[in-house]
Amino acid sequence: MVDTPHHETHHHPERWNTRLGVILAVAGSAVGLGNFLRFPGQAAANGGGAFMIPYFVALLLVGIPVAWAEWTMARYGGGKGLHSAPAIYGVIGRGAIWRYFGAFGILIPLAVSFYYTFIEAWCLGYFWQYLTGGIGIDTAAPIDEQVATASAFYNNFIGTANDGLIFGGSYATLVFWVITFAINIWLVYRGISGGIEKFVRYAMPLMAVAALIVLIRVLTLGTPDPAKPDQSVINGLGYMWNPDFSALLVPQTWLAAAGQIFFSLSIGFGIIINYASYLRRKDEIVLSGLTAVSTNEVFEVGFGGLITLTAAFVFLGLTGTAAAVATGTFGLGFNTLPIVFAHMGPFGNFIAAVWFFMLFLAAITSSLSMYQPALAFFRESLGLSRKAGMALVVGICGVGSFLTIWFSKDGRFLGTLDDWVGTFLVFVLATGQIVMFSWIFGVKRGMKEAHQGAEIRIPDFYRPIIKWVSPIYLLIIFVAFCVMNLGDWIRGVGQQPAAQLALALVGAVAVMLLVMVRIGEKRWRAAGIDIDDRNPATYEE
Amino acid sequence: MTIGGWIFLGASLTFVWGLTIWCFNTVLRGAKIEPPPDSLGM
Repeated sequence: MVDTPHHETHHHPERWNTRLGVILAVAGSAVGLGNFLRFPGQAAANGGGAFMIPYFVALLLVGIPVAWAEWTMARYGGGKGLHSAPAIYGVIGRGAIWRYFGAFGILIPLAVSFYYTFIEAWCLGYFWQYLTGGIGIDTAAPIDEQVATASAFYNNFIGTANDGLIFGGSYATLVFWVITFAINIWLVYRGISGGIEKFVRYAMPLMAVAALIVLIRVLTLGTPDPAKPDQSVINGLGYMWNPDFSALLVPQTWLAAAGQIFFSLSIGFGIIINYASYLRRKDEIVLSGLTAVSTNEVFEVGFGGLITLTAAFVFLGLTGTAAAVATGTFGLGFNTLPIVFAHMGPFGNFIAAVWFFMLFLAAITSSLSMYQPALAFFRESLGLSRKAGMALVVGICGVGSFLTIWFSKDGRFLGTLDDWVGTFLVFVLATGQIVMFSWIFGVKRGMKEAHQGAEIRIPDFYRPIIKWVSPIYLLIIFVAFCVMNLGDWIRGVGQQPAAQLALALVGAVAVMLLVMVRIGEKRWRAAGIDIDDRNPATYEE
Repeated sequence: MTIGGWIFLGASLTFVWGLTIWCFNTVLRGAKIEPPPDSLGM
């Protein structure tokens, strides 16, 4: 490997090669396991078809406007030659406080990658397992026995029984993690256009084809057991889509819908801020941002909303599907669906392999976007070469991932990172950045900036939405979320040493990032970069 | 599956697929981002 890839020189910084490339990369970062596993469960548990009303309201009032704000801030910061959340937030917020706040935009993707790549390795492992014969579920056995087989495989694979299990025994999970991590690092090292863009241009269409194959199989299942005529595809769709309008009167439904939109679009993860900073000022962002959002919705509503629960219902019935949904995202994906695939007949293993390959693609297009912001920040703040910056990313993520994999008992380490970083800090970052964009950078200026090179106009009614509705909507969700969850979470941390260690790790990484922001601040000032946006005229065309 | 279920299913799929097809159609008819001078191009 050479230190500087051929497409990146000092005179020609990294850029996306094509418009489609940046759209697919942002969409790929948003489409993840949650589209296929979390969304259907949330919808079914919160009003079925009626859930789509608060869901689309949240999409229009929070999802799309916040995405536009992120694209706009990123391209503006990128125009000053900056590509990391701390530097760009300093410009948009015009001051050091926002620069330090921007450290969350590096901490979140970095810490989420500690466990996300591990989950990604499960998908690869299951894919390989189904290519080579399945996980040993005997469909002739009683259903309890099938559930026990699937659970035993899953628990062994991810090491829930005890800490350190994955480092003993077959090492299979570890091997899949090493492969997954290596692919991620290699692609990110190859650069924005040479690695990430090239990969997503193949991975996203391939993911759509895989989803289509599984969808066609599920929709043609009919009524596989004549003895159970109620367990049909049509009734499976009804389980997910039949509306229960009384759910609309329950605040939890609206919170769940807003939360699903929020996490599904990866708003507030610090990813779009990095990806869209590699655009030029004349490059379109309004239509591009909308296209990335809508692509995510196709995978979520168009595929996730039709495949997962329909397949589960056809084989497990009403009670079994409800129980599967109650086990959560991972339980549904890695415990229940293997039983469903086992009942699909001679092609069951093939469909399962396609399904887990699709989940692997969904996960890797997301995890790539978690390493890239850290690499950009390390290089920008410390002045590191690509190789040195990548080595630092590998070192930090290696330690974080090792601890996540080692402390595998009951998934507490992983769960703590997911709760406090992948959920709580994401709320903090998303709320802070929309306040910064709307009230400091200014909606009027923001809209003018967004429309540079735009092919479609943001409707004028979005001005008050971006200024008032989106921030207030986010604040309400955030406060309600804290009221409902924080007490239990804090008690959980107090009782679990693994959770305390996870938070200590996050704290240590946060301190390191803050120090780097300080170092970067000095370097950027010394280089004459307008990091407080005192002179907007310094914007590069 | 009730009539309400079909309506919500149909409306949701029409919305997300319609928006996405319109977006990609408009994007693909638009101009490409110019590749940097020393890039390989795609």
